[in-house]
Amino acid sequence: MDRQDIQPPKWALRLLRWYCKPRALEIIEGDIFELFEKRIAQGEAKMARRKFGWDVLRFFRLRYIKGINDINSLNNIAMFKNYFKISLRSLYRHKFYSFINIAGLSLGLAACLLIVLYISNELSYDKFHNDSDRIYRFANGQSGNWTPARLGIQAKMDFPEIEEIVRLSGPSSSTFKVGDMVFREPNGFAADSTFHKVFTIDFIEGNPDDALTEPNSIVLTKSLAEKYFGGSSAFGEFIQFNGRTTKVTGVIADPPKNTHFYYKYINAYPHDTWVTIGNWTANNFWTYAKLVSGASREALEEKFPEFKRKYAGDEMLKYSDYDNYDEMLANMSYVPTFSLKKMTDLHLYYPSFALGSNGDINNIYIFSGVGVFILLIACINFMNLSTARSAARSKEVGMRKVLGSLRKQLISQFLVESTIISVFAMILSLGIAALALDGFNGLANRDFILNDLLAPGTLLNLLVLVLIVGFLAGSYPAFYLSAFKPIKALKGEIKAGAGNAFLRKGLVAFQFAISIFLIISTTVVFTQLRFMSSQKLGLNAEQVLSISNSGALEGKLTAFKNTIARNPNVVSISHSDRYLSGRMNTWGYQTLEENSKNLSFVHLIASSDFFNTMDIDLVDGRYFNDEFATDSAAIIINEKAAEWLGGNPLGRLFTRGDGERLPVVGVVKDFHYSSLKSDIRPMIIRYQNKEGYVPQYEEDWFAAGFVSIKVNGNYQEVVAAVESAWNQFAPDEPFNYFFLDDSFDRLYDDERRFGRMFTVSSGLAIAIACLGLFALAAFTLERRFKEIAVRKVLGASVRNLTMLIIGDFTKLVLIGSIVAIPAGYFVMKEWLNEFAYQINVGVFVLVVPAILVAIIAWITVGYQSAKTALGNPVNALRSE
Amino acid sequence: MHRVNLGEFEELVLLVVAILHDNAYGISVMEEIESQTGRKINISAVHSALDRLETKGFLKSHIGGATKERGGRRKRFFNITMAGKGALDFIHSQRNNLYNQIGPIDFGVNYGPTGYSTA
Repeated sequence: MDRQDIQPPKWALRLLRWYCKPRALEIIEGDIFELFEKRIAQGEAKMARRKFGWDVLRFFRLRYIKGINDINSLNNIAMFKNYFKISLRSLYRHKFYSFINIAGLSLGLAACLLIVLYISNELSYDKFHNDSDRIYRFANGQSGNWTPARLGIQAKMDFPEIEEIVRLSGPSSSTFKVGDMVFREPNGFAADSTFHKVFTIDFIEGNPDDALTEPNSIVLTKSLAEKYFGGSSAFGEFIQFNGRTTKVTGVIADPPKNTHFYYKYINAYPHDTWVTIGNWTANNFWTYAKLVSGASREALEEKFPEFKRKYAGDEMLKYSDYDNYDEMLANMSYVPTFSLKKMTDLHLYYPSFALGSNGDINNIYIFSGVGVFILLIACINFMNLSTARSAARSKEVGMRKVLGSLRKQLISQFLVESTIISVFAMILSLGIAALALDGFNGLANRDFILNDLLAPGTLLNLLVLVLIVGFLAGSYPAFYLSAFKPIKALKGEIKAGAGNAFLRKGLVAFQFAISIFLIISTTVVFTQLRFMSSQKLGLNAEQVLSISNSGALEGKLTAFKNTIARNPNVVSISHSDRYLSGRMNTWGYQTLEENSKNLSFVHLIASSDFFNTMDIDLVDGRYFNDEFATDSAAIIINEKAAEWLGGNPLGRLFTRGDGERLPVVGVVKDFHYSSLKSDIRPMIIRYQNKEGYVPQYEEDWFAAGFVSIKVNGNYQEVVAAVESAWNQFAPDEPFNYFFLDDSFDRLYDDERRFGRMFTVSSGLAIAIACLGLFALAAFTLERRFKEIAVRKVLGASVRNLTMLIIGDFTKLVLIGSIVAIPAGYFVMKEWLNEFAYQINVGVFVLVVPAILVAIIAWITVGYQSAKTALGNPVNALRSE
Repeated sequence: MHRVNLGEFEELVLLVVAILHDNAYGISVMEEIESQTGRKINISAVHSALDRLETKGFLKSHIGGATKERGGRRKRFFNITMAGKGALDFIHSQRNNLYNQIGPIDFGVNYGPTGYSTA
């Protein structure tokens, strides 16, 4: 082999040139080459090549590696300045396109910004607690959120893995009386004294360790303390809390908003046996545990079945008819146990465990999907307009290439241009987002403020978003435009969108598809909503006024009822322990007969007038009758329960153990007690007497938590009359009331918000897509100006010409709907599965949105096509 | 007495540059060291030492003409400066001065007849 043919390894040379300082490169390269030649002269070609590589690697020293000064040469900066200037000039020159580009993009960015704000807020829930990853919530079994009182106490004694436990109850509303101020305050929790050891709270006044140790003590948040005590200190003061004298033992900072239980005050539990000792069968506490660091949740959960058996087994057996635990276990479809849910997951993954924070992981998915869609549409506009205008830019590209520009440089020029547009759009989008913040809060059911939007984290997100968009939207035109052959470009042979027409049309069709999909979703959501509100409830919730804190009327209920009954507009008055459309209790019952069965029933304790007030029809037997002493133990069931029972339900006996015998006296028609999302379940209605007491149990069980009044016209007068009666009988309690039909209506707030969300996003999507379509049509017509003129000269009518252009775009809508209709159908079918009672997604719902989009496209394009077609052909053809 | 900031390898390189006089560049220095001391060294170490010595002011450099065996790349020649020569002189005299003060050392080895009887 000839010596001249032996070359050093290419990779080594390239590597050296890549990392080495230009200043030192020549000398180093020279020395390595000289050595290489010398080694070859010694006849060791292989070794020479290997050593060449080794030498290169050995030169990789800090001293010889390029620094920042070697990379950003002054020349480059000058070049970037030039790109910047040219970009601004070109933006300025094509004001119309620039406007549409920036407007579309900023709308998309603003939507995305708000969505990113929402998502990052949702993901931050409960992370502010110290050691939030070690805090867990106990679940009864796998998904029961109520836990027995004994659980926390016993678990801490038995398991060294548990550092601390705390039990909570709430959120509930309580009546505060300080001086002559009386308010009903929501968002209150009762808690064990270990509250501060599990959760992170900031005590402004008071000692955390003994704030909740004594009964009748309460800790207020700063805002609540200021409400009642103004500037002076609330600490150590006494207030009337639900009518009891209660000491303020601490003032704490308001909790952050991103928590799954937002508290305004925390009161201590009473020192009663149901709290201090408790039992294993009544589930009435939320239990939280903080594990010691390093403890494994799974290992702990494995010990729970045995734990439950050991302590709760006997009591469970007492209420069943099995002889021993193993036999009961064998007959159960699940193993009785407890489990632990991560506190930071409660908000998004276990909404039923969250105490009023109403989050949902699905919302995150939906919001991100919508955000991506809108941004995509805006990016597509940008790409389409840039490539469509390529012919106009082709001369510039050709000239730059002739003058020695490399493709790489042209690419960076166009990327700079797109980044400038996105930065303009970014600034605009901040303004749009700020203006839209209130509306967005309504959609997302959150209360963001302007400061959240301007927080450094959010701005950083926005910047990243902008750079991504600038790059994504800019890269296609950049690569496309920079590939022009200079000669063709200068000769003007590059026709607009010859090669990329297909892609451009595809992108437009895709925009249509997204718009159609969003409109289909909107239509389905609203059709379902209308369906649900038009559905017969099986009761008449109209004109029913309910008082929500009538527990304060204990002992005075009859007198109160007599007072308001004097008003001629009051038709009937009833009371119950819960209200329909609210959260219902479930109680377990078993039948008292051979082959007894048991079931967990939806449960209500109602007075005899209840059915009359609510207009619930009887199917069999009779309603409660106050005249019959035996009715104190009577129950009424619904049709579903009768069906479950089988046979003639009247006279059959139910029991909860302890010798109870409750005969069925009547069956009522099924009625909805909650939203149409859930099916009607078997229900048992127990009796409470005229005074609101449940005679079957301890004398003092006052179960009239809600008084419902059927009104006949003239609400305002009735409300005023009821309120004055209220103030007479319960002067220390504020008068809280609602109308039952409103309350049923509020059950669909989430769905309505969901619908509004889709309305807004489909509106946005269509607006942005139309902007793009409008510009694209204007551009296409400009290019086809001569063609249209020639056609007109040859005899085409204005109508023919307009239809010609419109036809092109209609095809795209058609393609879009072919994609969107099946997608919309399947996605919305999935959404509807949440509802027990759902509409059929018909052809109408699917096709109308497509037609709507087509009409919008015709309007957008039609005006311009008609204008072009109406123009005088001479103007187009004269200047050849 | 002030201290001269010079490592062992740097001193060696400085000496060799002084010896080679007008023909001192990376490879000649490396080869000279290899032939004079038998040490195997990498060219990058020589470059690094030469650069360090130049920053310290003991060497100065100029770019020479292109040569064929380097594919037209130029060489960088090094010359010793006054300061460099001064540093070498100082080290030399200091070392000699110290060395000359070493007295006869007895390492406890007996060179008596019994020890080398067979020599």
